[in-house]
Amino acid sequence: MATPSLPSDEILIPKLLARDELAYNQIVSAYHGLMVHLARAIVGSAIADEVAQESWVAVLRALPKFERRSSLKTWILRIVSNTAKSRLRHESRTVNLGDALEDSPIVDPSRFKANAHWATPPMNWHADTPDALLSRTELSECISSTLSLLPPVQRAAITLRDMQGLSMEDICKVLEVSESNGRVLLHRARSRIQQAIEEHLKR
Amino acid sequence: MPSCKDITNHTSEYLDRHMPWHKRIGYWLHLLMCVHCKRYVDQLKLTISTIGRTQDATPPDVSDEQIKDISKCLQEQMAKTDRE
Repeated sequence: MATPSLPSDEILIPKLLARDELAYNQIVSAYHGLMVHLARAIVGSAIADEVAQESWVAVLRALPKFERRSSLKTWILRIVSNTAKSRLRHESRTVNLGDALEDSPIVDPSRFKANAHWATPPMNWHADTPDALLSRTELSECISSTLSLLPPVQRAAITLRDMQGLSMEDICKVLEVSESNGRVLLHRARSRIQQAIEEHLKR
Repeated sequence: MPSCKDITNHTSEYLDRHMPWHKRIGYWLHLLMCVHCKRYVDQLKLTISTIGRTQDATPPDVSDEQIKDISKCLQEQMAKTDRE
């Protein structure tokens, strides 16, 4: 996401450490919305604002020790992700990476023949643009409800990649997963939504 | 040459260009010959673009007033931390 009014990390970090009021306003303006967006993906809307606030305090406290192995934005989002995950654990809800990487098939195996080629191929959606697809009755709600059913870490991966446009490398740093696990999380999340769209269009 | 099932398992890798070139060539050749997989890949691509256009894709708006409030609150907290 573009943050045109935000100075580079090299300029911003010393100002934040010096408690510069303008730098505080600039960084909150640039990243607070993204932080709430990611927190929502992991913990849900009800406590996302609280998680973002808690993350800000953690960010500013840890800033003197920031080693600049990633951009400030990636590092901040990583703190949000960790704060949100510990909040889930605190509420006895799990953020089980194993569940999110579950070994279930991407496409229902009964749709393939024994030789692994299609027996029941994908149907024609009769739409080739997002606008055409979203003009179908209640499709937007269908996508939204499918997103809400994804494991939190899959929802976070799709939010960071397909909504916020982060690179795979940054997503893996934010979510603290290996690159291969990051790709699996993202592909599983996207495939679940693709499948939900197909089922919705069949009705 | 990958099977149709292999194609569906690695579509994101192909679309995001994270696939090694030797695997990419086999994938691409399969798509040239299989209309069903071509449709599957096109539909995942459309799904990705559509996800980016839904209401869920927009980060929440933060008003100027909220920015000032959060920023002020953080400055106060950090000033308190500095004193301790």
